[in-house]
Amino acid sequence: MMFIHDTVCISPQQSYLQETLFSGSNEIKSPVKNILYAIEPSYEMIPPGILRRMGRAVRLGIGAALPLTKKEGKPFDGIIIGTSMGGMEDCVKFLNQIIEYNEGTLTPTNFVQSTPNAIAGQLGLMTKNNHYNITHVHRGFSFENALLDVDMLLNDDKNRTYLVGAADEISSYNYNIERLAGGYKTEPLTGNNLFNSLSPGTIAGEGAAMFIINGDAPKAKAAIKAVHIFQTENEEELRKQIQHFMQAHIPQSASCLLLSGENADSRYQHYYHCCESLMGTSSSIARFKHLSGEYPTASSFAVWLAAEILDRQQLPAFCVKKQVNNAIESVLVYNNYKGIQHSLVLLQKA
Amino acid sequence: MEATQTQLKSQLKEQIVKHLNLLSVKPEDIKDDEPLFGEGLGLDSIDSIELIVLLQREYGIDIKDPKEGRKVLVDINTMAAYIEQHRTK
Repeated sequence: MMFIHDTVCISPQQSYLQETLFSGSNEIKSPVKNILYAIEPSYEMIPPGILRRMGRAVRLGIGAALPLTKKEGKPFDGIIIGTSMGGMEDCVKFLNQIIEYNEGTLTPTNFVQSTPNAIAGQLGLMTKNNHYNITHVHRGFSFENALLDVDMLLNDDKNRTYLVGAADEISSYNYNIERLAGGYKTEPLTGNNLFNSLSPGTIAGEGAAMFIINGDAPKAKAAIKAVHIFQTENEEELRKQIQHFMQAHIPQSASCLLLSGENADSRYQHYYHCCESLMGTSSSIARFKHLSGEYPTASSFAVWLAAEILDRQQLPAFCVKKQVNNAIESVLVYNNYKGIQHSLVLLQKA
Repeated sequence: MEATQTQLKSQLKEQIVKHLNLLSVKPEDIKDDEPLFGEGLGLDSIDSIELIVLLQREYGIDIKDPKEGRKVLVDINTMAAYIEQHRTK
């Protein structure tokens, strides 16, 4: 069992330092041209000389992580980050330089910023932390693999504390590739009505969510009870995997909220419907992709949201698909990436 | 001649701000004799590589000797003077 003690999230919504998204007065930001860009804070904790070199994904990740390092006050026993793309925008800038300047003298900044481990690496350097430092890069499983890594580390020694999180950016390169591949809706959405648009494709998103995780239950916001990842395009296999997971970990599904990664992509809706059908009629169902958009580590936003819901015992109305008036004892985050990578993360009250 | 050098210095300041992404600095705020490194503009060793690449790309100047680089990359005045003498484009 892993315990989440603190969180910070930078997302397309007013989630940074948490107050506004749950206050009830916050207006949900709608996508523009089917893109939800993250609302970036002023990054006051990042020295200007370092900030000016950072690419978007690095800024998002470090901007979300630094408030947690300050709160913790002592070095974490490890920094564990999941990112699918890292700084893709800087990577493409660097590759373009190679062509533009005929493989001549190249500047180091874009290269340094473009590697996926730039987030964890710079965090280590900025906080003078030379402990375990690793980046998991596995498309839609990047964040879940970071969680599994922490789980194994805490099994070795539950007295350790880790900074765990994920970050991904919308770069013009990956946006255009995804758009050409049919990943995004072609009809523009008006307002935040993603789930009324059941056509192929979804909306693009980005963000970073960071967590302080250790093995101590007291004062935790929430606990992560189980994480399961699997790849399949077969709905029957999906059903078996979810049933098996639920039998092992969720004895009382009535008090379990399903936080679904449904993204209104008509090609993959059946996976989410399958998961919903297994929850039973007495479970509440909520969704989050209209808030975060779709990106490989969007499940980190969901885990952040789930931890806040459990801690506050408040299910924001803008997330609800179906509400049953039960106390929320646990939250099952089900996410699917590109129709093949499925993940289940079960959180419960600490 | 003087007008040309003033023009070169203005252009150089704009290029430095753009290439180094100096977020809070306006080109006109950089003084001609303000040190580029340490106190002054506060650039660091990665910036020095960026500046050497800038000289190569924009003015066709190759600085291969680090000692020479240290003499050139002092302030806007020294950079402009070196560019005038050595530029190939």
